[in-house]
Parts: sequence; C-alpha cells; structure tokens
Amino acid sequence: MKIVTKSFLRYLPRRLSLSLLQLMGVACGVAAVVGMTLSAQTALKSFGKAIEFLRGKATHSIQRPVGPMEENHLVSLSRDPAVEWFSPVIDRQLSLKQAGQVRLLGIDPFLDRTLRPEIARVEWLGNKADATENLINFLTDERAVFLDHRLKEEIGITTEKTLETSKGSLLVKGSFPNPSGEPLMIMDIGHAQKLYQLQGLIDRVDLILSDEPGFLSRWSKGFLIQSSRQRSETFSGMLQAFRLNLEALSLLALFVGVFLIYNTAMFTVISRRRDAGILRSLGAKRFEIFMAFLFELLILGSVGGALGGWIGFLLTKLLTGLIGTSISSLYFFLQPEPVVWSIWILMIGILLGCSASLLGGIIPLIELIRINPVQALSGRAGSRKSSRRAKKVALIGLLILWVSLFLFFLPGSHVYVGFAGVFGFVLSASLLTGVILLMLHPFLRKILVLLGGLPGKVAAGTIKQNLGRTGVAIAAFMISLSMSIGLGAMIGSFRQSLIWWMDTQIRGDLYIGKILEAEVPEDFFEELQKIEGLGGIHPYRNVQTLYQDTSINISAVDAKVLEKYARFGWLEGGNENWEPVKQGGVIISESFSRRFGVKTGDTITLEGRQGPVEFKVGAIFYDYTTEHGLVMMDRSTYIKTFGDRTLNNIGIFIDHDHPRKSELIQEVRKRAKARGLPVLTGAQLQQEILEVFDTTFAITRSMRVIAIIVAFFGIAGALLTLFIERSREFGIYRALGFSTDQVAKMTLMEGLGMGIVSFILSVGVGTVLAILLIKVINIRSFNWTIFYSPALKPYLVTGVTAILASIGAAIYPIWRVYRTYPQIQIREE
Amino acid sequence: MVIIRIIDLWKNYGEDGSGAPALCGTNLDIHKGEIIALFGKSGSGKSTLFNLIAGLDRPTKGRIEVEGRDLEDLGEKGRTLLRRTKLGFIFQFFNLLPTLTAFENVFLSLELADRSKPELALKALRDVGLEGKEQRFPNELSGGEQQRVAIARAIVKNPSIILADEPTGNLDTSTGNQILDLLTRSCRESGTTLMMATHSPLTCHYATRILRMVDGVITEETSCEEISH
Amino acid sequence: MEGKRSVIKHLKRLLLLIGCLWSLLLCYENLRTAYASEWKQAIGAWKWAFPRDHGSHPEFRTEWWYFTGNLKDASNNRFGYQLTFFRQGVNLREKDPKYPWSIRDIYLAHFALTDVSSNQFWYAERVSREGPGLAGASQEKMNVWLLNWSATMEGNRIEGKARHQGMELSLHLIPRKPLAFHGQNGLSQKGPKEGQASYYFSYTNLATEGTMKTPLSQSTIRVKGTSWFDREFGSNQLAPDQVGWDWFSLHLSDGQELMVYFLRKKDGSIEPSSSGSLVTRSGNAIHLKQSDINLEVLDYWKSPKSGGRYPSRWRLRVASAKIELELNTLVPSQELLTEGSTGITYWEGAVAGKGVSEGRPITCEGYVELTGYAGSLGGIF
Repeated sequence: MKIVTKSFLRYLPRRLSLSLLQLMGVACGVAAVVGMTLSAQTALKSFGKAIEFLRGKATHSIQRPVGPMEENHLVSLSRDPAVEWFSPVIDRQLSLKQAGQVRLLGIDPFLDRTLRPEIARVEWLGNKADATENLINFLTDERAVFLDHRLKEEIGITTEKTLETSKGSLLVKGSFPNPSGEPLMIMDIGHAQKLYQLQGLIDRVDLILSDEPGFLSRWSKGFLIQSSRQRSETFSGMLQAFRLNLEALSLLALFVGVFLIYNTAMFTVISRRRDAGILRSLGAKRFEIFMAFLFELLILGSVGGALGGWIGFLLTKLLTGLIGTSISSLYFFLQPEPVVWSIWILMIGILLGCSASLLGGIIPLIELIRINPVQALSGRAGSRKSSRRAKKVALIGLLILWVSLFLFFLPGSHVYVGFAGVFGFVLSASLLTGVILLMLHPFLRKILVLLGGLPGKVAAGTIKQNLGRTGVAIAAFMISLSMSIGLGAMIGSFRQSLIWWMDTQIRGDLYIGKILEAEVPEDFFEELQKIEGLGGIHPYRNVQTLYQDTSINISAVDAKVLEKYARFGWLEGGNENWEPVKQGGVIISESFSRRFGVKTGDTITLEGRQGPVEFKVGAIFYDYTTEHGLVMMDRSTYIKTFGDRTLNNIGIFIDHDHPRKSELIQEVRKRAKARGLPVLTGAQLQQEILEVFDTTFAITRSMRVIAIIVAFFGIAGALLTLFIERSREFGIYRALGFSTDQVAKMTLMEGLGMGIVSFILSVGVGTVLAILLIKVINIRSFNWTIFYSPALKPYLVTGVTAILASIGAAIYPIWRVYRTYPQIQIREE
Repeated sequence: MVIIRIIDLWKNYGEDGSGAPALCGTNLDIHKGEIIALFGKSGSGKSTLFNLIAGLDRPTKGRIEVEGRDLEDLGEKGRTLLRRTKLGFIFQFFNLLPTLTAFENVFLSLELADRSKPELALKALRDVGLEGKEQRFPNELSGGEQQRVAIARAIVKNPSIILADEPTGNLDTSTGNQILDLLTRSCRESGTTLMMATHSPLTCHYATRILRMVDGVITEETSCEEISH
Repeated sequence: MEGKRSVIKHLKRLLLLIGCLWSLLLCYENLRTAYASEWKQAIGAWKWAFPRDHGSHPEFRTEWWYFTGNLKDASNNRFGYQLTFFRQGVNLREKDPKYPWSIRDIYLAHFALTDVSSNQFWYAERVSREGPGLAGASQEKMNVWLLNWSATMEGNRIEGKARHQGMELSLHLIPRKPLAFHGQNGLSQKGPKEGQASYYFSYTNLATEGTMKTPLSQSTIRVKGTSWFDREFGSNQLAPDQVGWDWFSLHLSDGQELMVYFLRKKDGSIEPSSSGSLVTRSGNAIHLKQSDINLEVLDYWKSPKSGGRYPSRWRLRVASAKIELELNTLVPSQELLTEGSTGITYWEGAVAGKGVSEGRPITCEGYVELTGYAGSLGGIF
C-alpha cells in the first residue's frame, strides 16, 4: 500500500472512537434504507406471491360485479365451449383465536386441484393408516379444515385438533404447502357455504379459458370477468398509495443517511487538510491525495455499509411485521415472509454505504484536492470564509426552494411531483441552515450564556466559527427533527380528522357484526324490527367492486335512518343531501370525487346484475374509510341493482331520551348473543378504528425514531471532532486557566447549542412539512382532505428528543474531555 | 551556476490581489551549493518567498526560474514533479505526518520521487542520528528528533535545493545548533543549495551568504554582526 | 365375467389417477369394511327392466358405464377410444337438499384416444361430486355426465360426448345385437361368499358413427366403427391377491364377439375363476371356462417411461369355439402413467389381429387391458 494512503488510513484506528461514531453514522443510514426498502419489498413481493398463488393456473375469473353469484351458473359454465376448466370459490375471512385473521377458501377439492395443485398436497394430521377415512371425513365433516404448513406450525398443531375461530370451532384435519405469505385455510366449498350461510351462492369462479372473446360475448352481461393480469393489477393498484408512501419513507431515510455521511466526510476532510498540505509540499499529486482519501471513504463506506446491511436485516424483522399488519388491516390479509438473510444484503449494504459515501464525500473531496497548501500549512482553516460560504450555499438553497414552490403549484400534477417538491423543500431548508444559524447566533449566544456562563459563550462562538463542521450536523439533525414534527403533526391532524369523521358517521348505540368477518343474517334484521322502541335499525352493506377498471367500494345504507341519526360531513349542503339518495341516486366520498373527477350532478355508471346502470350523484361527503373511493346508495336501490341482500353490519339507534334505553340495549345484546353475533358499542367501534389507524402509522413512527438515531450519531461525531480538532485551542484554554469542568461544560453547551438551533429551525421546517404532507401529499395520493389541527404535542416530543439527543451526543466527548484535557499542552503533535 | 533566479517578484494576498503586498519586486540569484540565511521578522515575506519558490503559491507578478526554467511554464504537473525530485522542504513546526512512523515519513519522500528503496531511508535516518528510532511515531519523538526526521525526509531524495523555513524556530538553542550543524553539513557534503529563513542570529554562522528581508524587499548583508542589531 | 373385476380395479386405479390427495379414496378396502354393510348387496336374481336399468342404482355402492371402440375415418385411418363413467358411493345418507355440495356419491370418468396412423395416444381423467349439477346419473334411463363428458340413451340410440383440451369425441352408438347378460342372468359371482358379486351386462356390438378430434388433427374427423359397452353395479368386491390381469374384448369379422380375462396371481399361476364369453352372431352369450381358453404371449414391449415390460403380441385359442387368433397392439405406447407419487401405471388400448374361426380366415379388432406389469400393484392396493 502506498504510504500516502497509509498516512490517511492510520487515522481510523488512531481516532478509534471517532471512527466508530462515523462508522455507526454510515451504518445507521444504510440500515434505515436497507431495513425499510427490504421490508417494503418483501411485503409487496409476498403480496404479489399470495395473489399469484391464489390465482394458480387460472387465466380468468368470473363473479357478480357486487356480492356473491348463484351456483346454478356452474353447469352452464362447465358446458361453455370456451371453458377449459373451472373451479368455484368461496373467498372469505376468518379470525383465529391463536393466529389472528386468515383467508378461508371454500373450494371443491376435485375441481380445484387442476387450478391449484399445491393445495391438494395435503399432509394428514390424523392416523395415516386410516387416510381414506380422513378424506371421507373431510368431505363429510362440516367443521373440517386444512391449514397451511406455516399456520399449523405457528399454532403448534401436531394432531387433529379443534381450533377456536370467529365462526365457532373448526377441526384441523391436515396441512398443505403455501409458498405465499398469506395465512390460508381451506374448507370444502359445501361446508364453507354453510359456515357463511351462503345457500346456493359462491363468491366467484376461477377459469381456464381457451377463447376469451367468445366467452365475453356470452357472459359479459351482469358479470364481472377479469383476466388474471387484470386481477393482479386491480390488487396492486389498491396498494399503490401505500407503496408510494413506503418508497417515500425509504427515500427519506436515504436522504438523512447521505446527509450524515456527507457530515462524516466533511469532518474527515477538515482533519486531513494539514496532511494534504504537507503532502502537496512534498510533491504529492492531487490525484494521489484524492485516491488516498477516496480509499479511506470507501473503507468507511464498506465497513459501515456491511454493518448497516446487517443492522438493516435485523430491522426488517420489526418492520416487515409492521408493514404486514398495516396491509392486512387496510387492504388484504398478509403475513409477509421474513426477509431471508443472504450475502446480497451485505453486498447491497456495502454498495449503498460506498455510493452514499461517494455522494456525501464528493463535495468534501473536491474541496480537499483544491486545498491551498500554503493556507493549509499555515494552519488557517477555512473557517474565516465559512460565513461567505454559508451565504453561497444559501443562495443555492433559495434557488431549490423556488423550484420546489413551482412544483407545488404545477396544476394537476402527480403525487411524485409532490414528493419531489417536498424533497426540494427539505433540501433547500438544509442548505439555508448555515445562514439562518448565523442570523440566530446572537440569540443562541444569549441562551448559552444564560445556561452555561463563560463556557456557554465560548461554545456559542465555537459553533459559529466552525460552521463548516457544525452546520452540516445541525442541518442533518434539523431534518430529522423536522421529519419528526412534520410526520407527527400530520398524523395528529389525520387522527383528529378521523375522530371528527367518526363522530359524523358512527353515532349508533350498538353495532352488530364485524365488517370483515361476520355477516348478519337478514332474518335477524327482521327480528330486530319487531322490537318496539328502537329509533333506527340501520342495515349496512359494504362491498368492493370495479369502477373504470379500478377498485372502489359501494355502501348500501338506509337513507331515512341516517338522515335522522347521522351528521355526515358534506362538502356542500346539509341533511337535504339525503333526498336524492332516497330517490335512487347516490352520494360519493371525497376520494371518489377527486379520483375520478366526478362532481355533484354528474352521472356515474355501475355494472349491475342486469347490465350497466346510471346513477346521479347527489352530493359529496368526507370519508376516510377508503382512498379508492366510496359510492353510497340506499339499500333498496342497491338490492334492485345488484340483487345482493347480504348485510355486513346493523347499527342500532335509540333516541337519547328514551325511557327504556338501557333495557332496549340489553334486549338487542341478548338477541345478538343468541345468534353468536359480535356486538360493539359506538365507542368501541370508534376505538377499533383508531387502533387500526395507529397500527397503520407504526411504520411511519418507527422511521421517525430511526431518523433521530441517525442524526444522534451526526451530532456526537461533530462534537467529538470539534474536541479532537481543537486540541491546540484547548491548550490555550488550559493556559488561560479554564478548568476541566468548564471545558466539559463548554462541550455540553456546544452539543446543546446545536440541538437548540436544530430544534428552533425544525419548528418552522417541520410545520411547513406537515402542511405540505397534508395539503399536497395526502390529497394527491389518498384523495382526501385532512384538516390541519395545530397541536403542541409533536413539538414538545421533538423538542425533548432534541435536547436529550444532543446531551446524549455530548456524553462521550465530555468523557474524553475529562480524560485528556488535563494533559493537553500548547504544542504541536 | 545560478540555480534559482528571481526576477521582479511581487505577491499580493487577498481575493483579488489588491491587499498589502508581501513581496515588492524582489530580485535574487542563488547559486549552486550556496547556504543562505534569510533574515527577517515575522510577516516580512520569508515564507511567501519560499512558497513561491516551491511552486506551492503563484506570484502576482514577476518570475522564478529554477535551474533555468520558469516555474510558470512548468505548469502544475511540472511544479509537482519539481517538488518531488529537486526540492526539499523543512518547516518550523516539522510538519511530519502524525500517522506515519519516522521511517515512513522519510520513505514517503522517496516513494513520491519514485525511488522506493527502504535502505536509502534507513541511511538518511542514520545520517541524522536517529538509528533505532525508525519505527517511532512523531508524537513519540522530541522536537529536535522530529526536526531530524524532517531533515532526513528532505535530504533523502538528494534534492538540488532545500528550503528550510525557521528550522530551529521551535527548538531550544543547543538543539537548534545541533540541527543547523547537521543540516548545513549534509548540504555541503552533497553540494545541495540550502536556503534557510530565520530570525535567529544563531543561523548566521552556518551560512555562506546572508540576506535580509524587510517588508517584502531583500537586501544583501555582509556579516553576522549586522544581523544582531 | 370375472374379467370385469378389472373394472373394479379400474375404478380403484382411476381414483388413484385423480392425484395424490384425492386418490386416497381409492384405498377402499377400508371403505368396504367401514361402509359396505349398509349398501345393497348383489344377491339373488335381478328383475331386469329397461331403460330403468340403464340408469343409476344408488342403493349399490359402485357402478359404471364403460365404452371402448375401434373407429376409422374416410381414408381408413384407424382410431381407438375409451370413455368410461363410474359412480362411487361414499355416504349412504341422503344429501342435504339445501346444500347440493353435500356428498353422497363421487363420479369419476376416463377418456382416452388412440391415433393408429400417427402412433399416438392421449388420455384424461376427471372426478367430481354431484354438486349443483356438475355430475350425476339419471335413475330412469342412461343419462350419466361429469362436467361436459356424458353418455345418454334415447330409444335405441346412445350418444357419447367428451371434450378435454385438444381431445374431442361425439359419437352415436346403435346396438347391432341385444344385451348380453353375464353369469346367471346378469348376476356375476366374484367370489365364494354370498354378496361377492355384481350385476353385469353388455352391448357387445354397437354401430358407431360421429366425430372426433385429437390434439394432432386440424379439424374434426368423421369416424365410423364398432363399440363395446359394459354396464355393472354392485356393492362388494373381492380382496384380491393377484398381481395384475389381462383383459381382452374383441370383435371378430365373422360377426362374433369374444371377451376373455386372465387373473395373474402372485405365485405366477392363473386364477381358476378367470373366464370369458363368446357372443354369437345371433347375440347369444356363451360362457367360456378358463380351461377353454389358451393364451400365449409372442412378444413384449418395454415402456421407455415406466420401464414396464408389457405383452404386445399374443396367440389366443378358444378350443370350444374353434377360434385361433394372433393379436397385435395397434400402437405400442397406449400406457397410462399417473403422477409419480401413486406409481400406478397400466396399459389399455386398441388391438387388431387375424386368425381362423371354424376353419375360415378372419380378422379382428378390439381392446386389451394389462395391469401389474410396471411394478406390483399389491403394495398400493
């Protein structure tokens, strides 16, 4: 190895603590990206795999546009010349006491094995010698089910065993391989029909078609026929907004990571200035210095990257679960497979670490090779020019800010443009940090003097004088804190909006049935109607269908009951909006309106059981149940159009001043219990919705934590560098009679000062970020309005975090002060 | 033989070169084998002159010829090559690379000059009296020892000129004398031109030629006595 | 008649063909012990009534409708086909009328085509419960179907239809001879015990006409020829100790039909009850004892897929009927391999031959079934 290179590399073990901090900085940045990206990818891949597995060899599927289809169509399907094979499916959900929600497929094993041969490879749990009896039992025992291998392992089933579920106890007879990440349960189609009270009904038929146009010409009317490709697209389209947000979070992690590495590289450059000067005076070429430094950066990048890859892998264990839960509670059952360790993760980590090091190191590197050896040797650092430099950087920042603003005001632009704008804003804010720091300096000085007296004053000066070192660390920390405030305020506002919305729609005293699992028999609805004194009995049906080839939801409601008891949040108008609904019209959610550009008074066309039906849009209401769009109509209209009488849920409204209110509630509860139907109060339902909401944002919250950890290492690294680099200065302090405690205090004040400045800046940047997330990103990606509600909490939480993190970052440097300061002399090394 | 020729050399600092001049039209011819002591107070322009001769800095006006070639014409590459092969530098603050051992600091010089022979570096260290301390790091050496390493680093590549900027400025008198003795002896033996910038009269007795610099202007002196006042 | 034991085997095998999981049904020795007692037994004389007895007999556990035939197109290219339907009772209980998916019977079917001129053979199998009209059999007349495979009889005319991927068959069959009842007026004893029997009859000669399509043919081919139809129902089967069997159904050019069946036992001997039937030109069925029949294997064919070594050329003598025939397979590779996990592999296909009958030279064509040549069946059954 060249001695030039060696002279740089020797710094790594020599300043081990600093090197470790730098390494951890790189590692955390890389870990955040690797963890987030890998988890998101695995979850989405599991999702794709689950869809693919469920599809099997089917080329198409046929179903009613809304609700289940009649099984008597199967005979005609079996004789249709275009149908090579078919398999009827009941596709429902169920929750297990031990394993949460699973998908339950009701299939005919004889027909289905052509489409999904994997499922047929059952391993029996019963006595193998008596396998025939097992099979006969499966086909004749109404409670018999198969679980996939993983689910079986998870619950720990080894022999035939009864399983408690939301649909009563089921008997596990065997298990089958399921390469997808979706927990799956199989039941005979006939038994599934009984379990879900679907007499004569199935959910869909999966098909292998040989002649698509011919088939479409015979079956299009009243049916929804989708090719497998269309089906996959519909499903992945559902996840689009979610996927986008995961990508944005990964990018944010990368952004903070690169920032930190830039920070690290910048420190390295500063500490190598003098050596570079000596080397130049000895006749070393710029290229040689460049290579030596590059090598050092790459070593940091590779080792940090490899470590980051590993930490990222560990992170996936947490994040994959979080993402899976979010997808499951919002869209589709999924239990993503854990990320499998492979050497590629290490490679990706190294690649990321190195590229980020290069990206972050490129400006410092240019600075290093352009170094003026005369200045470097004379010991004059670039600090004198730092204020001018800060102004230059700020000008670029302003330029980027203008571009970002322009991006926001581009009419009708895509959410990606919105994200670009947000990133632009964040970048410009970080570039402006230096100048703002200079402007804030007198104020900072006052605070630090107040807190720390003379050492505080010196610390304030140090922060300003070493802007080159402190500025980047402050910017990185500021970005993390802004993210924390911005995301926190956005989530908080969203939560407030959700609570407001729930109060507009979920006003019932009791809710019977759970939307996903338990359908309510229609005769129970009739039974309830016989109870006297109930103010309103509200039959609710929510179902997914397609509109313009994308997934939307349709809700069937009783307009008269809702008119009386609900307080919908309308974009325009009030309760009179129910009139058109009663007359066969529809109302649409804000997300539907924005997504498809439909306004009040427009007409939308939905595919009904007898072909297309036109509906007039009577009004638009606020809704957060689905970003895909919701069309609401009266139950009578719904049944007329779709012929589906299914009920997902019944809401019970009792007048406030009713004398027998509690008695009535008890009566309804009793009757629901007799039928084994779950009953929730309005408050409990609201609580459940909030829980789903909180689960959904668990990933976002975890990213906030990661960003702050990354920035923590940034601050710690900056403080340590400041201490190490200024040993000559410390010699002078010592000569002047500064005590060790005072210098320690100074270091603490430096850390605190950086934290305070970062926080002050982040209050502004974070608030703007929150507003951007709410007004630009949410509207563009979810098509709904969140009402910004200012709250103190995110600021307080972030402020405390900032102070604690900056104090925490100072702990090690302070320890170093106590250890080395008493020995520091005024002399050269 | 004139090894360095300086013609009407001006150097102004500051962004646009409008600041107070550090050098004001200096003219100087230096011959091969001369040992020059350049006296002057701090800030008189000594270091500036050295940096210009070494090609580390560029003059505002005027020209420097080293072995008959204009530094400006050499270009950045040529100047770097010049520093590698023809020029040795010794600093007041030694400027050893803190992460390299004494041996490595010297060997670095050879490596840059493309003559990577370890025995040359070992010999140079022996010549400056540091036998047995080759593997020490600068912070494990005394000031005098560090400067010996710096001298070894300069002489090892057998340069035509050694520029020594306050070589004893950071050393006590006896150590300073030892260093000056070593430096001048080495230069005389190899016929290397030595140019020392200094403000210590000590240096005077080792020089064959004495120059004084005041406010960027060089004048010739005849004896050491004049320096003293 | 005992040869039709093969059909029982065939049923077992078809069930196995269904695949790893569902083939477990096949091991129905267990079933027999578990459920057989509740099913109606083949005991005593059956009061034959048609078309009712062409229909289903759900009180019995097993029954089948079994068609094989040899066909030719306009340019005399030869084809063979096999289309069989089985009903297997699972649960004697009546179905829940509200839920048609509830299981009482399982229907199975087997469809194979042989193209002699291009030396090709294709096959497919299906299984289904009745479900909401997916499979079933009328109790009034012959109307049995499994998805889009079916056999129906109106008056004197049977229609057989099947389509699977590139294979298609649509045939009309009209009997040239009356029904032949095997055993004692159709009661075919299978073992020494009472009830170890089935009711069994055949149309041995059906004029056949219609269209077919193979994966190789560009368009539908018009074909004509002769078919054989077997019909059997019962509830109780033998517990066999044989390694396999050889079954022949032949149309002789002098207007007679010959069916012979050899049951091969583990020790290499032939089961004494192996037998056959000769149906005369006028349609009388004459029982042939094992001693009347002599079979000599002249050549073998080794399957490149399974490694099984099957007889491929025979000399068959029926001394009592003065018949001597030399038979050849029309296509060697009419072997059915099921998924590796079951290991069930057998040969069933079209054959042709020539020889003498009562001193006059004749030709013949028909179908042969060979089991137990590629690995022993004993371990699986």
